[in-house]
Amino acid sequence: MEAMSLSVATEPSPGLREQTTAGTDTAHLVPWNLVVWNDPVNLMSYVSYVFQTYFGYTEAKADALMMQVHTEGRSIVSHGSKETVERQAVAMHNYGLWATVERAGEDG
Amino acid sequence: MAEPFTYGRKGISARFEDAERELLRGLFRDVVALLEPDERPDEDPLAALVGISPDASEPEDPAVRRLLPNVSRDDAEASLEFRRFTERSLRETKAGALRAAALGLEARDVVLDGAAAAHWATALTDVRLVLAERLGIRTEEDAERVHAVADWSDVGDDDVDAYLALVYNFVTWLQTTLVDAMMAAHRAQAGRTRGGNAPGAGKG
Repeated sequence: MEAMSLSVATEPSPGLREQTTAGTDTAHLVPWNLVVWNDPVNLMSYVSYVFQTYFGYTEAKADALMMQVHTEGRSIVSHGSKETVERQAVAMHNYGLWATVERAGEDG
Repeated sequence: MAEPFTYGRKGISARFEDAERELLRGLFRDVVALLEPDERPDEDPLAALVGISPDASEPEDPAVRRLLPNVSRDDAEASLEFRRFTERSLRETKAGALRAAALGLEARDVVLDGAAAAHWATALTDVRLVLAERLGIRTEEDAERVHAVADWSDVGDDDVDAYLALVYNFVTWLQTTLVDAMMAAHRAQAGRTRGGNAPGAGKG
């Protein structure tokens, strides 16, 4: 598969943390993660598009998460209550992405 | 040869040859058939109505399993429980998108608004996931191998895999152009939201 041209940011832009389901200061209270796994089929551009439009992430953050999926095999793309990440997992499955939920801290 | 998806004043559009339309319709139809749940005469009609499948089990066909994956990596019971409450509606949503995309192929010029583009994106994705499973694409190397099948001269008589590879590559190409067009539409919309006047901003 041809790689799309990418601009990969290492840091999320300011203000992005407010958009996510929980701020960093409360992250330790939030027990579930949504994990997206790598697969050799989905286009990199498509995965980034889904992260941008479904979660409202900036292009830089979406690309960074997509690259983490691609290079490390998985990425925690969201966290929140069990109900929240389960709803998001169904949405990811509908997009054709391979997503699972797990209790936070299981990724070691 | 098809004119790929582009984003312009009309929105997102593409044009297909008759043979390509027929091919895509067949692919959409095949995946719908995979997604249709087995109707059981003894099924509780109320459970069906509210979208619950009390007897849901992990699909045996690996392609269907990829379309409807387990929600937990290592808790089979939790995955099964989740499947009972979500799988039926996921099957229906996916089949609905595939049917909508097939319907859109009735016209020679395919013009997509935002909702139709979303249907096409998931429909093409599901087609690719199923073809990839049939072609044994498990790694990036497998994907490269399939990608290398470039034209009909690579396809011998009765070489089903080479034929499937060509089909897969065609759908991949199509989806690449669709996602690029959707991204362009998304950027234009984001530009408008920020108060800019994006040129060529169509619906979508």
